[in-house]
Amino acid sequence: MNEKFILRKDHLTGFLRKLSKGHRLVAPVRNRYGDLMFQVIDSLETTDLDLSEQAQESPKAFFLPQEEVLFSYEASGGIYDFRPINNSEQTVYFGLRSCDISAILYMDVIFLRSPRDDHYMKKRKDSILISIGCNTPGENCFCNATRTGPFLEYGFDLQFTDLGDRFFVESGRARGDEIFSEWPQFFHPVTEEDVRLQYQLALEAKAGFRRQIHVEPAFSKLRDDAVDTAVWREMASRCDGCGGCAYICPTCTCFTIFDRMESTETGKRIRAWDSCTHAGFTRMAGGHNPVDMKIDALRRRFMHKLYYDYSAFRRPSCVGCGRCVDMCFGGVDIVKFIDIVCAGTRKRTRDSRRILGDLLLEAGLISRTDLEKALSRQADTGEALGKILMDLGLVTCAEILGVLSLENM
Amino acid sequence: MTNSIEELRGAEVIMVIGSNTTEAHPQVARRLVAAVDNGKNLIVIDPRRTAISEFADIHLQIRPGTDIPLLNAMMRIILDENLIDDVFIEMRTENFSSLRDSLYTMDLNELIAITGVTAEAIGQAARMYARAQKGVICYCLGITQHICGTGNVESIANLAMITGNVEQSFTGVNPLRGQNNVQGACDMGALPGVFPGYQPVQDLETRKKFERAWKKSLPENLGMTLMQMTHSGRDGQIRAMFIMGENPVLSDPHASLVKETLEGLDFLAVSDIFLTETAELADVVFPAASFAEKDGTVTNSERRVQLMRRAILPIGKCRTDSDIIMELSKRMGYRMDYEDMAEVMEEIALLTPIYGGIYHDRLEKDWGLQWPCTDRNHPGTPYLHKYSFTRGKGRFVPAEHHPPDESPDSEYPFLLMTGRVYHHYHTGTMTRTSEMLEREAPRAVLEIHPDDAGSLNIRKGDMVKISSKRGSIEIEAEPTTRVMKKSLYTSFNFRETPVNILTNPAMDPVAECPEYKICAVKVEKVGHNE
Ligand code: SF4
Ligand code: SF4
Repeated sequence: MNEKFILRKDHLTGFLRKLSKGHRLVAPVRNRYGDLMFQVIDSLETTDLDLSEQAQESPKAFFLPQEEVLFSYEASGGIYDFRPINNSEQTVYFGLRSCDISAILYMDVIFLRSPRDDHYMKKRKDSILISIGCNTPGENCFCNATRTGPFLEYGFDLQFTDLGDRFFVESGRARGDEIFSEWPQFFHPVTEEDVRLQYQLALEAKAGFRRQIHVEPAFSKLRDDAVDTAVWREMASRCDGCGGCAYICPTCTCFTIFDRMESTETGKRIRAWDSCTHAGFTRMAGGHNPVDMKIDALRRRFMHKLYYDYSAFRRPSCVGCGRCVDMCFGGVDIVKFIDIVCAGTRKRTRDSRRILGDLLLEAGLISRTDLEKALSRQADTGEALGKILMDLGLVTCAEILGVLSLENM
Repeated sequence: MTNSIEELRGAEVIMVIGSNTTEAHPQVARRLVAAVDNGKNLIVIDPRRTAISEFADIHLQIRPGTDIPLLNAMMRIILDENLIDDVFIEMRTENFSSLRDSLYTMDLNELIAITGVTAEAIGQAARMYARAQKGVICYCLGITQHICGTGNVESIANLAMITGNVEQSFTGVNPLRGQNNVQGACDMGALPGVFPGYQPVQDLETRKKFERAWKKSLPENLGMTLMQMTHSGRDGQIRAMFIMGENPVLSDPHASLVKETLEGLDFLAVSDIFLTETAELADVVFPAASFAEKDGTVTNSERRVQLMRRAILPIGKCRTDSDIIMELSKRMGYRMDYEDMAEVMEEIALLTPIYGGIYHDRLEKDWGLQWPCTDRNHPGTPYLHKYSFTRGKGRFVPAEHHPPDESPDSEYPFLLMTGRVYHHYHTGTMTRTSEMLEREAPRAVLEIHPDDAGSLNIRKGDMVKISSKRGSIEIEAEPTTRVMKKSLYTSFNFRETPVNILTNPAMDPVAECPEYKICAVKVEKVGHNE
């Protein structure tokens, strides 16, 4: 594991073609309305993959479909005959983002704990996960705060980094290594320069987040139940209970089960996505709802995302993908929520674009003149700030890493 | 809509009147919330405390059916405080003096008293809207479904015109049309007096144009309105009907009369995707294909024509609406040979000036085109009335208070309003077959003010009987301060509580839109629902 190779960009299609022999290939494609979606690729010749940004939806539906038939039944003479349904297929997922991988790891915790969910397990066993790190985080992304991106150290079978004309490819699991050894013709050894550049880009990405938040203070406030009721009320007043945030969320795994009769003798048992923001999620048969949706519509959701799941599994169930922010019709924004919760505990807001420079300044690792010099060179060359500072011999990689992880505490 | 939905973002003040936007038009509500978050002002006028009213700077909770006195009071204040836009009135409108004179003859205090809202709140709202550089008004069925619906709309137009809040971006008057294609249906001539594109059937030239294209002589007299057709009783003039995708047995007022009318027909055919209450009365039922099973276009509230593509083949023996029409037409001796929907669209473009430049290939990209779009190079029209109104100058038409057809009295002391719930669409023929939506909203409840509930000894969950002169239904009560005292509210989405048995078919004489929003009822407790 943790082997590293270079794959030239013009060899990507050939590589994917090999991989898709015997596997279904799922990758992000832009449809005619401009939406970037994961879809099954039938032909690599006629479909253009689009790796430019995070896909609009996570690949959750491939593992936990919005509606999934668990089994069908047929009754005759009072005897039921149940037929299990296998919904799984050997699949290569290409172009996942770090948050997508992290979300799948979280789903594993939910579905592979005992009692194990066989439908999910089959799909997971049949999957190969290939991710691409995010050189430029998206507008609402905050995976740096949840520590689920922009690059990962484990969880993927292969992780790609875009180095311009080539991909830096590293394996995170035995399955990845198998791929390297099965098709060695595509993979070239990495040079020192490649390693340095990859490291560089991963660092730069960390400094590129537009929305800077701190999850830990929110975590402790939620733990101590110190969030003002007014905040919950405000959130609830914005929520229409559409369930959109849970449906789009890569880690929301709540489902409901119902039987769909097709005739008096036949039918199906179906599992479908559910959401804690639906009133019917907790409403009891007599009509009483123990949750007051006017106050607490979103309390449970945020508590789970930012506190319960973390304390139960040591893994936040919010992977910072930012998707629910755009989804909500009422403007419920988890990033703003965290900000509001943390108001008072935060030091000050910063222009996140300059955060790396500021941090290094604060830590006394560079002087203001150094920073200005580097910034003016950046204005000319467009190079990454960290790279310039390192090229100028002002800081080391380790120092940059140091301040960035301090920032995340 | 005179504007585009997206333009709501740029308005300074948005006034929402008679629209439960959050539940009925979530895509519009989302823009309203975003506008408020960006520091814009929102005025909501609604007798109910709706979700969107919680975001309002000013919520005028008027008595149902008092929109005209309210709007007149606002205009009077604007006039008295000289907040009118003289230049606009002078250049772009006519008949202002009659509005002014009529406003001056009214007693402001009297107007205010009718609405039940404080003078202060009305004054604030009037000033806020009049002072805005860019003010938008959105209205919905709370305005039109009244006996004075036309007067209501004219008053809104008066208010927008005296303050000059029309004809530039981020201003205007916007009726929010329901459903994805009501606008499209009207555009295509599903109205009694017009061909597609609002071309009058009584105009000889127009008629000739269509006769040449369709090679048939066409009637010059106006058709009948929906209400005339569905409320004529057992022995009505119409003897046979073909109803497509509509469920009037639940959706039209005075529903028992509708049922009687349909039962009295010699022949009834219905096409729908599920067997509706109306289809159950039919001699012949055509199983129709759903939106996902056909190609075509829909035109939404903001006049945007959008292409929809078939996602799956029609299931079972169902067929698309166009297929059903073409096949019927062929059997009745008139061949319609359209290869596909693109060819139908071409015919629309040829015969309908406002759709003149709209072709399928142009709709492929982006989010469609907004009419008027008169030729292939025309980019579409995001907002109407840019340089002049459709009829030239905007004409002021003063309106006076017109009390509801049916006012509460000692026998029927409550005023019942009807609307819809978030999770269901119209009479629920489609949405109620979705397990999730049905779980979310399995039944209708009657909203009643806690004081009224208390005096009738009604608790949450009790079953009550509500009756009007036309009939009665039983329904579960929910005491809530969302409604004012002496007013009740429920939704018409549920067949178990067919509230249109109660509603009043009295209608606006011009638009012939029935007064769904107000009827007088009484309430009696019948038991507790367990
Ligand atoms: S997306 Fe927004 S409105 Fe919908 S359930 Fe989530 S918080 Fe509520
Ligand atoms: S809660 Fe929102 S930001 Fe967090 S993982 Fe789910 S969708 Fe993404």
